[in-house]
Amino acid sequence: MKKKAKVKRVIVLFFFSLFLLLSFSEARVLPVYAVVNCKIFPVSGPPIEKGVIVIRNGLIESIGEEGKIVIPEDAEIIEGEGCFAYPGLIDAHGSFFLETKKEEEPSSERERLPALSPQEKFKPHPEFQVFKSLKPKKSVLESLHRIGFTTVLVVPEEEIFAGQSVLLNLNGEEAQAMVVKNPFALHINFVTNRNTYPTSLMGTMAFLRQSFLDTEHYALHSAFFSRHSKGLRRPEYDPFLESLIPFVAEKKPVVFNCANLEDIKRALILIDEFKLNGYIAGANEAWRVVGHLERAKVPLFISLDYKPPLNSIYATQGEELREKAEKEIYPENPAILSKKGLRFALCSHTLKKSEDILKNVQKAIERGLPREEALKAMTIIPARFLGVDNLLGSLEQGKIANIIFTSGEIFKEGTRVKRVFVDGLSFEVKEPPKAEAPALFNISGRWLAKITSPMGDMEMTLEIEQEGNSILGKILSEFGQWEITDGLITGKELSFTISAMIMGETVELTFKGEAEMDSLVGTFSFMGITAAMRATRIPGENFKRGGIR
Amino acid sequence: MREKIISFMIVLNIITCFAVFSFAQDLLIKNGTILTITQGKIPKGDILIMGGVIRRIADNIEPPPGVKVIDAIGKFVMPGIIDSHTHIALAGVNESGETISSEVKMMDVLNAEDPAIFTALTGGVTMVHTMHGSGNPIGGENVVLKMKWGKPSEEMIVHEALRTLKFALGENPKQANIFSLGEPRYPQTRMGVNAIIRREFLKAKDYLEQWERYDEAKRSKNPPKNLLPPRKDLKLEPLVDMLRGKMVARCHSYRADETLEFIELSKEFGFKIAAFEHASEAFKIADKLVEEKIGISIFLDNWAYKVEASEGIAYNAAYCAKKGVLVSINSDSNERIRRLFNDAAKAMKYGDLSEEEALKLITINPAIQLGVEKIAGSLEVGKHGDIAIFSEHPLSAYTCCEITIIEGEVYFDRAQYLKQREEEKKKEEVKKGLN
Amino acid sequence: MREKIVIILAMLSLFIPLFSEQEKKTELIAIQGGKIIPVGGEEIEGGTVLIRGRLIEALGKEIEIPQGAKIISAKGLFVYPGMIDGQCYLGLQEIGSIRATVDSTETGIINPQLQAVEALRPDSIHIPIARANGITAALVVPTGGLVAGQSGLIRLYGMTPQEMVIKSPMAMHINLPSLPSSSRQQRRGDQPEEASKRIKELKELFAKVRHYQKQRQFARKNKILPLPEFDEKLEFLLPVIDGTMPLFISVHAEKDIREAMKFVEEEKLKAIFFGVEEGWKVAEELAKSGIPVIFDSLYELPSKWEDGYDALYRNPGILRKAGVKIAFSSSSASLAKDLPYHASKAAAFGLDRSEALKAVTLYPAEIFGVDNLMGSLESGKLANIVVSDGDILELATHVKHVFIEGKEMDLKTRYEELLDKYKK
Repeated sequence: MKKKAKVKRVIVLFFFSLFLLLSFSEARVLPVYAVVNCKIFPVSGPPIEKGVIVIRNGLIESIGEEGKIVIPEDAEIIEGEGCFAYPGLIDAHGSFFLETKKEEEPSSERERLPALSPQEKFKPHPEFQVFKSLKPKKSVLESLHRIGFTTVLVVPEEEIFAGQSVLLNLNGEEAQAMVVKNPFALHINFVTNRNTYPTSLMGTMAFLRQSFLDTEHYALHSAFFSRHSKGLRRPEYDPFLESLIPFVAEKKPVVFNCANLEDIKRALILIDEFKLNGYIAGANEAWRVVGHLERAKVPLFISLDYKPPLNSIYATQGEELREKAEKEIYPENPAILSKKGLRFALCSHTLKKSEDILKNVQKAIERGLPREEALKAMTIIPARFLGVDNLLGSLEQGKIANIIFTSGEIFKEGTRVKRVFVDGLSFEVKEPPKAEAPALFNISGRWLAKITSPMGDMEMTLEIEQEGNSILGKILSEFGQWEITDGLITGKELSFTISAMIMGETVELTFKGEAEMDSLVGTFSFMGITAAMRATRIPGENFKRGGIR
Repeated sequence: MREKIISFMIVLNIITCFAVFSFAQDLLIKNGTILTITQGKIPKGDILIMGGVIRRIADNIEPPPGVKVIDAIGKFVMPGIIDSHTHIALAGVNESGETISSEVKMMDVLNAEDPAIFTALTGGVTMVHTMHGSGNPIGGENVVLKMKWGKPSEEMIVHEALRTLKFALGENPKQANIFSLGEPRYPQTRMGVNAIIRREFLKAKDYLEQWERYDEAKRSKNPPKNLLPPRKDLKLEPLVDMLRGKMVARCHSYRADETLEFIELSKEFGFKIAAFEHASEAFKIADKLVEEKIGISIFLDNWAYKVEASEGIAYNAAYCAKKGVLVSINSDSNERIRRLFNDAAKAMKYGDLSEEEALKLITINPAIQLGVEKIAGSLEVGKHGDIAIFSEHPLSAYTCCEITIIEGEVYFDRAQYLKQREEEKKKEEVKKGLN
Repeated sequence: MREKIVIILAMLSLFIPLFSEQEKKTELIAIQGGKIIPVGGEEIEGGTVLIRGRLIEALGKEIEIPQGAKIISAKGLFVYPGMIDGQCYLGLQEIGSIRATVDSTETGIINPQLQAVEALRPDSIHIPIARANGITAALVVPTGGLVAGQSGLIRLYGMTPQEMVIKSPMAMHINLPSLPSSSRQQRRGDQPEEASKRIKELKELFAKVRHYQKQRQFARKNKILPLPEFDEKLEFLLPVIDGTMPLFISVHAEKDIREAMKFVEEEKLKAIFFGVEEGWKVAEELAKSGIPVIFDSLYELPSKWEDGYDALYRNPGILRKAGVKIAFSSSSASLAKDLPYHASKAAAFGLDRSEALKAVTLYPAEIFGVDNLMGSLESGKLANIVVSDGDILELATHVKHVFIEGKEMDLKTRYEELLDKYKK
């Protein structure tokens, strides 16, 4: 028995190392593509009825009318089938790939008597780079590709000085490989702390002002000190102020997240007072302060979330008005700004579901935003604001090959994104998971699985926990314990993925099969290798819910 | 030259035309009983407002072309009521994260959508002094607003008003009614409250001196190369402004003794107190308040909700007023704000103030306290057209505020409000009928 | 002969104390020359009210004033019945933030055994202040929980609780959920099922009480059977089931009011509703049910913007027009004196002025079943009388005299005490 196990182990390792080799080699040489027969909308120029795009080395090597462009011999030709080609959409302010913290209660508006605890000092962290806490997930990536996003600015969310954002190309799950620019900006929220200063919004304003003043003073002191250190006491090192110097003294970008119209005014006041290189994000109430924005000429990252802010007059005068605000009034924000000639980028901001993001772009167009403006607001304009318009935002020779191919005109009802190129890597866009049919059985429990593969037979134990349509659990074998992810049971159909840790590397095996009350039958796929699985329930050892986690 | 003069005149004419045709702020109120407050009662008269300012008060004024006319026959016309102590129209009241929060400004957190603004209008209130709470010995800078419901927040600010800083003494800043988990914060006694205020002013004096030294050094013939300015401290700046007389104190205080102590403190540092808030024991020290020319901004009869308010008497307002103290009645509540005229009437019952004296408590007196008496507080030519029209005399319990006007623009009209409600009700019924 | 006269005189003198005793007991007071507003009848200009002992003997324009009556001139003044507060905490609260001085709210959910008058503090500083403004009787109530306890009607005069109590227990107090406050409304949302939950709880409780009653009655008949276990909560609810004690139900939202009406009808109970802020939405049904309504203090904001800023102010007028019997309350201790001003505020927003006056005099008396004793100036009723220099519901009016059961009250209160001490 032991010998058999040893042999099995070697065989698995052999196939695994093959796989690693292959993946390494993929990273070295990117395929060359020529997409033919597509209608191209470069954004930076007039549309090309029947065009060709050649992609090499992650960049657009050439782009133009069919016949006028030479298709290189080593190119893999992809038939466009009349698809529409657009620059990959840029989400100028998103919050994907971050661990969602629990939602705190909204801060109370009116307190007459003071808070409970004595004053602790709070530790702001403007130097925090959100890049460090990215957790890219395939499912999120795919959902973003599905709506045509190829670039996203990931913004830290919490606290007054939220931290510094990172600009990512959605080219996979390796955070490092995704980075286009890190950091982009310092992000500031008009929020309060619960128990430490500042606990009120006016405290936050005063705190921001004092922080900026102190940074200016610190920079001045440091500058003096570096020039005439004799006789001048050295400035006391302050990491907080150090981290603000790039933004306050050196005028690197500062983005103010504005939840309502008063926040916008507050941001504009601070930007003006301290002559910051300021941006305004969120601002779904921008339409209410257009005059201020016209005068200030500050770049805008306009949220596609149309929920009126909690204390807005549109939310406090009855449910009917609040619904109307969300369905009709706030969606007109982009159209109004466009009419006034203000330049803005559209961003997902607080929206998390890709269906919602697309729906809301469509709503903006319904309410009067010209389609071309919507496209610009998600391509060349954010590229400009983010300082990467030499790389992204339009389909031009030399720019990064971030391209999306759609079945119809962009943002139109029924148009689907069929293929997405990010950094020259091709991603076919899959259909979204079907609307889930209720599971026919509850397969929670322990199962004994027999796996038959070209390498031989193996036995494993499955521990499954089912909640509605989703499946969680783990697989236990001699090789260790592997987690079941993306488990879904629709009717009888069962599918899940195992992230197996072998030799310190994560390998994904997908299972597709059918479930019955007491048996699971299906196949594992793994790098082209398939292995059949047959599992029977281990009687009397059924878990209650919550047993596994 | 002649052409220049002509074109100049043409331009001037056009500008004046525009000024005259700023329709929203032109109004003629006819036939009402006018309670001017400072110049007696006119049994039946007209008030003409042009460009937001009262231009004429007389009999039978002819309406200029295009000016809206309100017939106030049988109604009572008084100046818009001024509430000199509220916390409305703000997105935050107390900075509870620290004991001294002098750096915060209520102007930074205005909320023009607070329904309390509308509530105030339904009670004839046109101007409020909205303040930091009383949770800290030194709160923050307050702001005076006109209740221009529907307008952007920055248009509500009354820039003519005195700059005021909120102070608080007694139970609230010493957290007497809070049970704290862990170490309580300093101060927990009235002596601590005074000591901490004194400490801040001493720090402010030092800070002021630092700056004066810096300024002097800078102005000198050979300023040193590495002359660094002092760090600008937003906490101490307002206190320096107080020392310089650019800002005045509005101090929340109930007991007579703590009121007297604070007066001593103000003398120690030379800052001015505009008024004491609540001051429920003011009647005990009325003479002193008159001598020091310090006003009070108080409730009429709200008392006994905490120990320091347990010797508050309903005669406080009338007695102090008769003694010569500048008394205003405030609401400190987004509910009571619409009944200030009822509170003023009670000063006729408890203390026998005359009608006019009672109305002063909610008009010219708070205006003087806030430094806006040149533009508000009474119906006089040259002041802003801030007006409240009532169905009965405002001091009658049966009265109802019908129209509230700010700078000649109608911001609340009960008749319109009722009409709208009727129409909406009909729409609902039609909807229900169709279903 | 002389001796006989002396003996007769001596014997007569024995009677003198008796006569003076009787005079003391049946003191005669005549309030003369004022405008009498009896509430239960026509106004009388320049009339006289004659008080004998505790009662009103007569009132009218031409009243013969018997010898020895104390004359109080009411020339140029107004004579009203004493006002009755529909709900207050007089005697139960001194300083709101000091728990040691507050006795109105007990802990626990079901407390039918509590009697508010047993916590009454006759020396409360707030009682003379209310009395000095013409309030002569008030319902003192317990609060908190689902079944708060029993209220009692008191006269605002007496040195001991026993001297103050007119009728206790008056009613059993039930609390249905209050309306969410307007600023929190959009965040918390409605809790629509809360009232239904509480009513269900009450139904179950009452079913238990009925069962308990049967057990007790049965055991009483058959002495051999042991008594069922004493249950305080159920025992004190027996009078409610019997119909001898009305339920005083604090109810606020439209839906809850409807449910409460249904509940009262199904359980066949006598009820008084309190609060009823959204009553104007169900005015017709309330009128049909015959359930009287006592309003909470009008010093509140409506909880829904859509109901209008004047919702609470016009509520009383609408209900009265629909035919509901209404009364006002101060729902306070320190502001109990403001009872009349809630009535006049409602009158400013549609309630007929004479109805407003009735709602602080006759109607609460009728609701509390003491209209044979008070609520209007009528011969035979208690001499609870207020003499003022103006409309008693007006803010600037000064009250000159207050009589409670024929005894003239000292109008000096803590206010005057402190003023006198410090005024210069």
